Amino acid sequence: MNAGHLDATFAALADPTRRAILARLTAGETSVTELAKPFEMSLPAVSKHLKVLERAGLIARGREAQWRPCRLDPAPLKEVADWVEHYRRFWDESFDRLDDYLRHLQSKEKRKHARKQREK
Amino acid sequence: MPASNERSSAAAADQAREFVITRLFDTSREVVFEAWTECEHLMRWWGPKGFKMLSCKNDVRPGGEFLYGMRAPDGSEIWGKWTYREVDRPERLVFIVSFADPAGNVTRHPSSPGWPLEMLSTVTFEEEGEKTKITVRWAPFNATDAERKTFEEGMESMRQGWGGTFDQFAGYLKEKRS
Repeated sequence: MNAGHLDATFAALADPTRRAILARLTAGETSVTELAKPFEMSLPAVSKHLKVLERAGLIARGREAQWRPCRLDPAPLKEVADWVEHYRRFWDESFDRLDDYLRHLQSKEKRKHARKQREK
Repeated sequence: MPASNERSSAAAADQAREFVITRLFDTSREVVFEAWTECEHLMRWWGPKGFKMLSCKNDVRPGGEFLYGMRAPDGSEIWGKWTYREVDRPERLVFIVSFADPAGNVTRHPSSPGWPLEMLSTVTFEEEGEKTKITVRWAPFNATDAERKTFEEGMESMRQGWGGTFDQFAGYLKEKRS
């Protein structure tokens, strides 16, 4: 992963309009005009957001058709989700292992105690 | 109502500023605290599933350090350290968390240079009858405004549940392939 790559993705995701655009694109590729419809925003303003998303590698735009359809490129988003989830997962899974380990300690303690009782 | 809006946005900001996770363990506080602070135990449980502890040095006193190395399932090595500020046995630990090299020098986040260099972490161990509740809190420490922003955006995107959005992405990709 390139240094600073995630930071560019975070910066692109920081804006609610850009997040809404990405959410719309999960339904499939579409034109800029279609994308602009739900927002009270001029086409150039939407294009500006698209450029930020494109630079962050979050969307790709077709060269072939005149209307240059936008489509989602989920790879960097997956990286961000993996990364922010990493912290929660780190603790969740460490806690699972600690829980198992404490049970193991306790049963060892009980066996030791039982053995002592029998030896008495 | 502006008043309640202000309150809820303040609450949202707090959520974004701090990472908090809690868990209840069915074990006495003394045992939990020991398992949390001694390498003999830490080697057996610290780190996510599939990670293997390679090295553990832990000097649990104010100014002391916990330096650990672990191997991720993909074979990469991750080193980190905690520098203790407060040790209140068996109730509370306050320490600075950072990534590190095997010699214990502080390093940047391996994949996000904008991530705060240091995080302040507070771990509390509370007795609940026979059980023990652990709460872990993380917040940026001595961070620049840009680092703080990176952290808050990370928390924000987690809070907004990008995870759920990914089920949609997965479906979308499958559709695209077929």
